[in-house]
Amino acid sequence: MIRPDRVTAVAKFEFLAVVKRWSYLLATFGLPLFLAGVSGVVLGAQTYFLAQRAVESSSFGLVDEAGVVDSSVFEASDSLPTWRVNAIDVVLYGSTTDAQRDLQGGKVRALYVVPPDYLETGRVQAIQSEDTPLLSMRGTTVEPMLRSLLQRSLLVDRLEDDVQARVLSPASFVRTRLTPAGDEVKSVDETIDLLVRTTIPLFLGVLLLTALLSASGYLVQTVATDKESKIVEVLLSSATPEEILAGKLIGLGAAGLIQFAVWSSMVVLVAASASAALAAFVSIPWTAVALAPLLFVLGYLFMGSLMLATAALGANAAESQKFTVGWAILAMLPLMVMVVLLDDPNGVLGQLMTWTPFTAPLTVILRLAVDPDGIAWWEVGGSVAVLVFSIGVAIRVGARLFRVGFLLTGSRPSLAELWRQAR
Amino acid sequence: MEILAFRGVSKRFGGQVALDDVSLEVGSGEVFGLMGPNGAGKTTLIRIGLDILRADQGQVSIFGGPLDRQALDRTAYLPEERGVYRRAKVRELLTYLGRLKGLKPAASRSAADQWLDRVGLGRVANQRVDSLSKGMTQKVQIAACLMSDPELCVLDEPFSGLDPVNVALVRTLIEERRKIGRTTVLSTHLMHQVEALCDRVALIHQGRLVVYGRLDEIRQRYSPHEVVVWSPTDLIALGLDAIRDANGAWRVTLPQSETAAGYLNALIEHGVAVDRYEPMVAKMDDIFVNLVRGSAP
Repeated sequence: MIRPDRVTAVAKFEFLAVVKRWSYLLATFGLPLFLAGVSGVVLGAQTYFLAQRAVESSSFGLVDEAGVVDSSVFEASDSLPTWRVNAIDVVLYGSTTDAQRDLQGGKVRALYVVPPDYLETGRVQAIQSEDTPLLSMRGTTVEPMLRSLLQRSLLVDRLEDDVQARVLSPASFVRTRLTPAGDEVKSVDETIDLLVRTTIPLFLGVLLLTALLSASGYLVQTVATDKESKIVEVLLSSATPEEILAGKLIGLGAAGLIQFAVWSSMVVLVAASASAALAAFVSIPWTAVALAPLLFVLGYLFMGSLMLATAALGANAAESQKFTVGWAILAMLPLMVMVVLLDDPNGVLGQLMTWTPFTAPLTVILRLAVDPDGIAWWEVGGSVAVLVFSIGVAIRVGARLFRVGFLLTGSRPSLAELWRQAR
Repeated sequence: MEILAFRGVSKRFGGQVALDDVSLEVGSGEVFGLMGPNGAGKTTLIRIGLDILRADQGQVSIFGGPLDRQALDRTAYLPEERGVYRRAKVRELLTYLGRLKGLKPAASRSAADQWLDRVGLGRVANQRVDSLSKGMTQKVQIAACLMSDPELCVLDEPFSGLDPVNVALVRTLIEERRKIGRTTVLSTHLMHQVEALCDRVALIHQGRLVVYGRLDEIRQRYSPHEVVVWSPTDLIALGLDAIRDANGAWRVTLPQSETAAGYLNALIEHGVAVDRYEPMVAKMDDIFVNLVRGSAP
């Protein structure tokens, strides 16, 4: 029988031992601040350079030797006709010589010459000066603009206006989604849809997995510390392996939960600050967010029990880490097959992983985030039930292996001995 | 009443026999010495007695009943492989270990302070364990072991790493426990400490119980039937079975029917001048070494 006061004593001691460490404080509070800082710097720098670029005047030259360009879009500016779109000026030159002079003089960044045989070959000559970086020239939107101009020029007076417009823009896809209610259809922007369908689930999944592995890492560390500091016998003469295991699970789980809560809060803060801009497009998967703490706790208790037991079989911290890698890889499986889960969250693989205790927490979160309506409530409930049952078995077997491993010094027990102890 | 009893206890680790049919009892209020060479099975026996390990065969009873957690709360253990959380503060560590023994939080804190003062470490209560010397750390562990006032305390090599002053302190603590009727099992290789402290002893060798009983009886049992006599008289000339050692003392082998006291009377009656007279009593060191080597002293 497990005595609550012993479990509480172990839990409190382990909790305080971890949360007072600098490494924990740094990971819990410093990491999000660091990431926020880096993101801020990166975003700020990008915004700055884009703004700088926006105010730059980018001029390109165009020489129409084939006489096909529709000059009606060019307006007289100073001396030469200029077409101004998206802060780019395309200057129409009458002769290649003038244009090349301006290119060499740095007045234009590049020169496009439509040769006399353009209609036969479709070739347009792009000339740049030695000072103009190739990538810089390609990075502009001038070439699509010129392509569009040439298309329009070739069609002018040859087709009716509406047909001409459709040739230039044959289809504008308007994306909608049919809800299970069957009647409500909402507009979904393609880019935002991709964001909602991949980024948010991926982020939630990575967050859950990181928190799970971080908390489990503390468990491995504490067992290694107990073994290396040789305090094991003192502990086992005062409390049962089950009490020690439960205390460590609870104490370090609480530390892990706090870490998870802090990280999640940061995400919520960021989301809240961006909500004004995104609210129209992004639908936060609230069911997944609401269930995340429960799935974290269940996943942690299951993985933690197994990790504690296997970590105890190691002679030192390095060996304990090695033994527990397998469990971590199993927990990561849903992320490894993320592409399949995103494409078909409710397919065979998704369902299989929902019912497997190692992968259930992450899979359920991903499925709820990708397609909240695609996963049935009984699947979520069943997955929770499987986890609860598995936790019971894991703690029972884990505590026995924990006892064997905890006292282990020197020789390692055979698999047969481990099996005998675990039954 | 026996506090701790082993009956026919055996334990194997793989193909190796750690304990083979060991039976012994530790009585109430005594200091019981557990002796044996390295790897003899002492630690395994202690672990089984404290339910850290399970025996393959045999029975263990504690305080006259089964090995349950309530009974084990009345015990304490100082293992030979000392263990502490080196990053913890001294008072925190003791309070935690007291809580694990079932003390309430306030009682545990109070006992921690009291015992730190008792072992002379009150001033380092708020320091981290890794800032203490080896001897100080050892005293912290001894305090942790005794702070719950256990009815049965198992001390495995409690004197190792201590200076003479602290050895005397630990001896005093053990003797104080005996005075108030608390039981102590003392596992040590220091035979002079066994002779000074223990009421009864057991010697385990290669997993088997080799010697077990009252200390004085065992010493008597393994003592030669001899006396040492300091006398100017030539005892060989008197026809006695004696040899003279380098210090000039006579080592006399007594007849089987004779006692040391009776022999002294007889010497005096025969007019032998006796300056000093001492019955030969085997030292535990000798008994230990000879038994372990497989020959009687």
